[in-house]
Amino acid sequence: MTRNPMASRHRWIYLGAIVLLVGMLVTALLTYSELHETNEANRKAEQLSEALTAAGYPVPSQSQIVHTLGEDGGAVCEDPADALKQAQWKYGMSNGASGPGQRPVLSDREVVFAESIVLSVYCPDKLAAIKEKIDDLKLDDTVRN
Amino acid sequence: MSSMDIPSSGRGGPGTSDGADGTGAGAGHERTGPAATRLADAPRMSWLTLALMTTASVASLRSAPTMAVYGLACVFLYLLPAVVFLLPTALVSAELASGWEGGVYRWVSEGLSKPLGFLAVWCQFAMTIFYYPSLLAYVASTIAYVVDPSLASNGLYTAIVIMVLYWTGVWVSSRGTKAVAGLSSMGLVIGTLIPGTLLVVLGFVFLGQGNASAAPIDAAHLFPEWTGLASLVLIVNNFLSYSGMEMNAVHVSSLRDPAKEFPRTMFTASGMVLAIFILPALAISWVVPSSELSLTAGVMQAFDAFFQYFHIGWLTPVIAVALVAASLGGMLTWLAGPSKGLLMISRQEGYLPPFLQRLNKEGIQQNLLVTQGVVTTVIALAYALIPNVSSAYWIFSVITTQVYLIVYLLMFAAAIRLRRTRPEHPRGYRAPALVPIAVTGLVASAAAMAIGFVPSSQFGSGSVWSYVVIVGGGLVLLGLLIPYLFLRLRKPGWRSPDAQAELAAQEAAERGEADGPEQGGAA
Repeated sequence: MTRNPMASRHRWIYLGAIVLLVGMLVTALLTYSELHETNEANRKAEQLSEALTAAGYPVPSQSQIVHTLGEDGGAVCEDPADALKQAQWKYGMSNGASGPGQRPVLSDREVVFAESIVLSVYCPDKLAAIKEKIDDLKLDDTVRN
Repeated sequence: MSSMDIPSSGRGGPGTSDGADGTGAGAGHERTGPAATRLADAPRMSWLTLALMTTASVASLRSAPTMAVYGLACVFLYLLPAVVFLLPTALVSAELASGWEGGVYRWVSEGLSKPLGFLAVWCQFAMTIFYYPSLLAYVASTIAYVVDPSLASNGLYTAIVIMVLYWTGVWVSSRGTKAVAGLSSMGLVIGTLIPGTLLVVLGFVFLGQGNASAAPIDAAHLFPEWTGLASLVLIVNNFLSYSGMEMNAVHVSSLRDPAKEFPRTMFTASGMVLAIFILPALAISWVVPSSELSLTAGVMQAFDAFFQYFHIGWLTPVIAVALVAASLGGMLTWLAGPSKGLLMISRQEGYLPPFLQRLNKEGIQQNLLVTQGVVTTVIALAYALIPNVSSAYWIFSVITTQVYLIVYLLMFAAAIRLRRTRPEHPRGYRAPALVPIAVTGLVASAAAMAIGFVPSSQFGSGSVWSYVVIVGGGLVLLGLLIPYLFLRLRKPGWRSPDAQAELAAQEAAERGEADGPEQGGAA
């Protein structure tokens, strides 16, 4: 008997899992394109900073904004009103569970409205489609500012 | 091939599923008779492996960005539920598993009744059917974030990812408990512990550089804002963060000395779960302002922003793969656990048709897993391809967590009753003040169930009574009516004589171990 899982009859399962993970990692590293700093990205980031400040929200660093939202908002602006995206963000407005105990709560309005500001700066054309859904949410102020 | 890899001669018993993970089979108690045969055939795993499996079932970094929004108050939001729900669950499970092998179905069967034991494990099993599509859709969206964000809204892509990963998980589960234990432990270490440690270290580096925390860290922010019902909903629903801690007790017979090792498993897992939930969420709250925690882009946006601060954005795809590994590891434990418990009681009492009781050559409940898979496939395809289903899918998480709370209500009630009716039954561990602790858990579970009827944000301006009817109807249908029909339609011939003999031998072995030293204090 040995403690080495690779010596067991399940070694092919372990090896398969490792190959799958490494393959996913390589694919992810090759396909992931970081958002680069451009004049347009900087301009949008400044615009967002001003809008967040005006609304009383904490403002991320310019670099953080530029590299996560770029020129076009990145994943935030990728069809936010789509049903599957909606399923994800609605499911995500939940308690602190990461297993099957995950369930919805009465969420704080801060994140939702900050999202509206981001959309209004980066993809105002997409805002209208999701605004109705955001407006329909029942929100509260559970985050202490 | 190791000695533990030799397929047992007693295949057919639920405890005969697998070989060892090489952690010391044969070093346990000397037992004789049928129990010895069964236990010698049981898979072997170390208490640490079971602790890793338990942690993988419950905790990952997935919730860290969600809770980072609350800043320092996330500590309170995890600690209070830990006191009233995690602690009772851990202590009660530790005591019950140290006295009765088999997990929640056995505890409830012994403490309350066998039909209620079936109900408990049915509820644990049934709620996972709705859990897998949402978990795997999250995996699909995580992959999409780094590969191509537009894929996240592609139904065909989502359906393919869910189907491939789910059925691969079923296949792995059918290969035995050892494979599940190994992969879920690996998933926890690679997908949660290592990246979680990295997040925490970077968080401290951020503060060490003299930066001001994005979320205030002072005494005034120790607690979330109190706004009445919304805050109550938030706090009470967080009890469910720890749901699943008891699930892996179904594998307790795989330990060399369950009476001593399972309590150690539970306490180690509880510590890891707390650390995984609290520390990375805090680290993210220091570095990423809540205004950049995106709703629509999901949790990956938060990790992206976190790493961008340190100019190590290339770690974003790395953590995406880590999150996927953790999710899949957790899924494997849920595939292997509840179905095993459901099989065990159904074989003993004939609650399921023989077809669903059939085992493969590894001793795994393959037909049950495949049948569950067919139902999951239908639900998952509806989720991925029918917009009305996906956008309303969140309601299933309300219903299934309500169903899961039935398990806890029964478990805590059984623990209290067993202390009163079977005080002499040997337990390797006796939880201190078990009755008050179990009552606390019982009240916490009842409160969580009651609060589950409060409409959440997603329900918007809909009628409260509609919400109550939907959630209540789902609870009654999935958690009461379907198991009632199974009980009603069962036939005496569905019982497995082998399983009944195993149970009798198991009971004899448990009673015969009364001479072991006990730990803890009695209530």
